[in-house]
Amino acid sequence: MRENGELRERPKLKELVVEASRALSRLDAERLEELALSCQALNRELERGDAAERQALANESKDAAGDMAVFARVLEATRANLSVMNRLRELRAGRLEYGRVEWAGTESRHGDN
Amino acid sequence: MGTINSALSIMSQALEADQGALNIVANNVANANTPGYTKETPSWQENQPINISGVSYGQGVTETGATSARDKVLESRLDQQQQLASASGSRLAALDTLQALFTPDSGSSSSTAGDIGSDITKFFSSFSSLEANPTDNSHRQAVLSAAKTLSGDISNAAASLNSQRSALDQEAAGVTSQVNSLTSAIAQLNQQIQTTSPNDDAGTLENQRQEDLSKLSQLIGINQVTTENNGLAITTTSGALLVSGNSSYQLTTGTVSGVTDFFVGNADITSQLATGGGSLGGYLMARDTDIPSALNSLDQLAYSISTAVNTQNNAGIDLDGVTGTAANPLYIFSQPTVVAGSAASMSVVMTDPNQIAAAGAGDGTGDNSNATAMAALANQSIVNGQTPTDYYSNFVTTLGSTVSNVQTENTAQNASVTQLQTQNNALSGVNLNDEASSMTTFERSYQAASQVFAMLNTVMASALNLGEQATVS
Repeated sequence: MRENGELRERPKLKELVVEASRALSRLDAERLEELALSCQALNRELERGDAAERQALANESKDAAGDMAVFARVLEATRANLSVMNRLRELRAGRLEYGRVEWAGTESRHGDN
Repeated sequence: MGTINSALSIMSQALEADQGALNIVANNVANANTPGYTKETPSWQENQPINISGVSYGQGVTETGATSARDKVLESRLDQQQQLASASGSRLAALDTLQALFTPDSGSSSSTAGDIGSDITKFFSSFSSLEANPTDNSHRQAVLSAAKTLSGDISNAAASLNSQRSALDQEAAGVTSQVNSLTSAIAQLNQQIQTTSPNDDAGTLENQRQEDLSKLSQLIGINQVTTENNGLAITTTSGALLVSGNSSYQLTTGTVSGVTDFFVGNADITSQLATGGGSLGGYLMARDTDIPSALNSLDQLAYSISTAVNTQNNAGIDLDGVTGTAANPLYIFSQPTVVAGSAASMSVVMTDPNQIAAAGAGDGTGDNSNATAMAALANQSIVNGQTPTDYYSNFVTTLGSTVSNVQTENTAQNASVTQLQTQNNALSGVNLNDEASSMTTFERSYQAASQVFAMLNTVMASALNLGEQATVS
């Protein structure tokens, strides 16, 4: 990859996958969005790449297969956690809608304050 | 009431209320790093207004105490994920030790369990060498030497596995007192909470109970059931009652078939605890499933090799022209009668190298046909339908695959715990707007991660030219 006339080394696939798992663990949305852009660039590079680069990527893919399985499981766990959080939000919204009015004690209803 | 005095009185009460609220905030700051502490927010109550001649006069505000901001659903989910992560963590540690036992140590000069694969090859190869020189004493000595190395490594591996099993048994038993201590503490806290705060959040007491629940979740798999008056019942994941109200039920141990079993009352719940979670679940899974499985494979290998080699040697004639009989068999290895325990007891019983029956029955003592037959055992399916080398290789591969799967599970479960802790911290004492913002971050992270996964999947599939690509919804 060429940038400002300098050759910049592409990150290894394994590093990308491991970093994605870590970022997802700590819910670092910005880092994940950066990684998504990196992957887009990698995809474009693959389309333009020659046989040697494809072979290098194939080797890296084999090397990253185990970490990809971990990433898949973290993603699966995240989906389950997200379901729980959404359910929790619905419960809270329902409690506010049908339960006691939380803000009642902080405001006067007599108009004399 | 509309006097300066009443105005000052209202302001004074407001200041007192503010002071109370500041104390709560100060308490939050002071406990920012206290494990299990949940942020508290002040509760306000408007003083009852008085009505004079149909006109309502406000009486200011009173600070009525603090309310902890906790999400029991989220805390419960966090505990549940913690149980899974602890179980896979302790099981993984045991599996790592197990795998290390069967990993060749290139730096070691002495033969170890990690060399069993090459021991098998060398043992059968020694018959190939004998085949070329069936009467040569040094080749006969080499066969016995290779047999001793093989049997020594297999029996040492079995001894190491039994020793690891005993160590895990002790670790599992040691968890019992910690569990009982925590369930007793939770029962006492239940009583205090039900007495002092049956309808509202009990603040510090609930923090302590949640902290104890979190510790308990790291030890065993539990279910939590909220009961009346802010009470909490706890069962194992299989339903054995551990805490109900202010009563706790002790986990006890007893020795059954040489290992520690776990009881609640008279019920043996060992197998349920093994699959329930927590570090105890991981220890028991390794003790009762992983190690016995490895031992069983070694037993099968030792039994099959010993039986096949002994049978073949007994069928030939030795250098002195002797043929083996039922009363005086020509056995190289101790002959096992059953599969179980064969690895631990595997040894070389032949002391005289002349007793190796290289010649076929009816042939002269210089014949080599039986040595050829013994060398050929290496390529015959004598161990559960597989050659000895293939059987051992598959055993090591299966073990590696199990370790890899548990490693994956453990990493994912720890990531899930981290996510939930992050979310729990973010949600502590926030309003709905903040919660919505926190959820947006969660959803953004998930969506971005899904994109990363899909694109990486595409890149890898294209690079490997795997054809049809998997997608993640």
